[in-house]
Amino acid sequence: MDNRIRELRAKFNLSQLELAQKAGVRRETIVFLEKGKYNPSLKLAHDIAAIFNVRIEEVFIFDDTM
Amino acid sequence: MKRTIIIFVVAAMVLLTLILWALNLHLSGNIQEILMLAGAIIIVGFAVYIGLVRVKSLKRKEPLEDELSKKVMTKTSSLSYYFSLYLWLFIMYISDRTTMHTHTLIGAGILGMAIIFFLSWLGIKIYLIKHG
Repeated sequence: MDNRIRELRAKFNLSQLELAQKAGVRRETIVFLEKGKYNPSLKLAHDIAAIFNVRIEEVFIFDDTM
Repeated sequence: MKRTIIIFVVAAMVLLTLILWALNLHLSGNIQEILMLAGAIIIVGFAVYIGLVRVKSLKRKEPLEDELSKKVMTKTSSLSYYFSLYLWLFIMYISDRTTMHTHTLIGAGILGMAIIFFLSWLGIKIYLIKHG
C-alpha cells in the first residue's frame, strides 16, 4: 500500500513530529508510514486523512493487483 | 514516566550486579562467564536505549506507546516466546551431557531468553513490520 503522507505533509507545511502529535502517535510511526514500512490501522488512516481534510483513499493508495 | 524510571532503576541495578560479577571474574575468569557477561551487557545496553528513547518521547510530548509500538511488542513477545521454548529444550538436552551446574544452566537460559527477546525486537523492527 502506497501513500501520499509526505506530499500532503509538505502541502500543509507540517513536520513529522507535528503530524504525529496531531494524530496522537509517535514520530517513528509517521516515519515508518512514509517509508511504506507499516500499514496503519483503519482508525489511524482515518485520523490522518481527517488532519489533511481529505478522504482516506486520497492519502492511502491500495494496490488492486496484490 | 513511572515506567521510564523503572527501566533506568532496573538497568542500574543489573549494571551494578554486573560490575560486582566482573570484579569476581577478574579472579576466576573462564570463557562461559565472559560470554554471559557480554550477553548481559548487551541486554543492559538495550534497556538503557529503550529508556533514552522514552525520555526523548517525553521531551517531545509524544505518546510513549502507540499502535506501531504495541504491534512491535506483541510480535516480539510471541516470536521470542516461540524461540525461548526451543532454547529451554536445548538446555534440557545438554543438561545431562555437560558438567555445568544447574544454576549456571538456568542463568544461561534466562540470559538467553533476554537475548532472544532483543534479537526478535531488532528483527521485527527491521524486517517484519514491512511485511505485516
